Amino acid sequence: MTVLVVVVALVVAIATYLTWLARRLDRLAARVSDASGGLITQLVARADAAAQLAERCGLDELAVSAARTRAAYPELLAGAPLNAAVELAENALSRSLRSVEVAAAGQRFPIELHAVDSGAARVALARQFHNDAVRDQRALAGRRVVRVLHLSGRRPPPGYFEIDDALPLREEPWPRLVEGSVRGADAPGREDRPGHDGPLGHDGPLGHGDRPGLAS
Amino acid sequence: MKIGLACPYTWDVPGGVQVHVRDLAEALLAAGHEVSVITPVDDEQTLPSYAVDAGRALPVPYNGSVARLLMGPVSAARVRRWLREHDFDVLHVHEPSAPSVSLLACMLADGPIVATFHTANPRSRFLTAAQGALQPSFEKLRARIAVSEAARRTLVEHLGADAILIPNGVAVQHFADARPLPGYDDGRPTVAFLGRIDEPRKGLDVLLAAMPALAARIDDARLLVAGPGDAAAVRARLEPQLRSRVDLLGLVSDADKPRVFASGQVYCAPNTGQESFGIVLLEAMAAGTAVVASDIDAFRRVLDDGRAGRLFDVGDPARLAATLADVLTDPAEAAGLVRRGRVVVETYDWRTIAERIVGVYQMVSGDRRVSLAST
Repeated sequence: MTVLVVVVALVVAIATYLTWLARRLDRLAARVSDASGGLITQLVARADAAAQLAERCGLDELAVSAARTRAAYPELLAGAPLNAAVELAENALSRSLRSVEVAAAGQRFPIELHAVDSGAARVALARQFHNDAVRDQRALAGRRVVRVLHLSGRRPPPGYFEIDDALPLREEPWPRLVEGSVRGADAPGREDRPGHDGPLGHDGPLGHGDRPGLAS
Repeated sequence: MKIGLACPYTWDVPGGVQVHVRDLAEALLAAGHEVSVITPVDDEQTLPSYAVDAGRALPVPYNGSVARLLMGPVSAARVRRWLREHDFDVLHVHEPSAPSVSLLACMLADGPIVATFHTANPRSRFLTAAQGALQPSFEKLRARIAVSEAARRTLVEHLGADAILIPNGVAVQHFADARPLPGYDDGRPTVAFLGRIDEPRKGLDVLLAAMPALAARIDDARLLVAGPGDAAAVRARLEPQLRSRVDLLGLVSDADKPRVFASGQVYCAPNTGQESFGIVLLEAMAAGTAVVASDIDAFRRVLDDGRAGRLFDVGDPARLAATLADVLTDPAEAAGLVRRGRVVVETYDWRTIAERIVGVYQMVSGDRRVSLAST
């Protein structure tokens, strides 16, 4: 009798534990899928902004890489995975966005350039959210009990999305978010760093791996 | 958006996390969002209208000091009811590694959850030991925010997860309208100092050593010192001819702090030790006071490489006296510093910071809402 009670208790405990693990896996799968959806949204927004800048300024190389990434979006939005081909195309776009021509064009079209930089900052963030989610899911799915009992079901393990999304260093990063220029009020001798005229510069107080442009 | 904020520490006990949650909540409300805060509290009367009582926290020895924590069936029930009644778009938990309301909310909720980590603790035995137990809750976090580089590093080292850096905000409005203290509105050249007067790293001694040289250049210069510590000992060390120009106010209330900044033409931060962040400089700049500070990393960063405030060599009274005299005797220079200071402060204004945090909310929320977890 006692043996039976112990066995039943044990079975119930194990079943509860496994159910709990399965719930965690489901939840992580939902988080990964939301995160990749968010990432795709931000990729689309960045490419749209890039295409707009390319059109306004007649930048052919940028137009080509933007068009190449945009060609993949209908499938991605329909649920296709973020694969290596997507990574390659997005990398090419990142590179084009860091080109000298884009920086020069941005001088004339600061608002379009700001939209692109802001989109790039959001892509970097969304990618961090996505890869964090993937890492958490892979950690749990890699546990022996989960693998042996196939608790993850037939879900393929999600992949990390690795692209070069380093933000371009802009001498004049984006239009002032605040009124009034502080240049000109500077004491003589500080003009040796032209262009860097305020706290919004890339090494200003927001520095330190901060992602600029997020709020705007 | 409908935003739920969870604060782990007792609301009516002073502390940085509580202040952060309060300022964030008010900035979000001012920006037109719906906000509810859940927090432990001792006296429910002290709660603002947007906050909900999670119960009384128990004092527990934690991390080498006494923390007041809250984990129990009653508070769990309150957190669950709070989540059910509000149907939030996003749940933002603060310091979820503390065994309190934030962790409870994390355990009980599902959906878009954002966490902010405040503590910098390079060798937290608690975090290391609790990592396994926290993981099931932490794997629900869709975005992590750290308020400082040190807090971010702590997170990376203990939990292997990165975080976005969004600093603490400054309640700029609170400082911008400050009037000078009585007796300090006469335009006499005044340097203000705020900080513990017997803590060598705050550098009051450097400032006092600079006073004779400053007095030699500016006849009626005076120094206003506000902050706790042994005033009699400081006064005894002063040279007799300085006593009439150094005012020791002692500890000032939070309400008077902005008035201290407003009482000086210059705010001086002569710190000799490394500081992690120059929040006090930002407060002075928000009050419209020119800043003169030691050339240490944190200050240099906040002062935009010396453009928004003058820097002087750490611990050098002669350089300090010369810099103070320059600013006090050159109204154009002082006005320029104040103007550029206001531009810097803008990026730390709670309105700006809250906007950046909302940007994170928007990125994680998608079309899912916060729900009760199914277990």
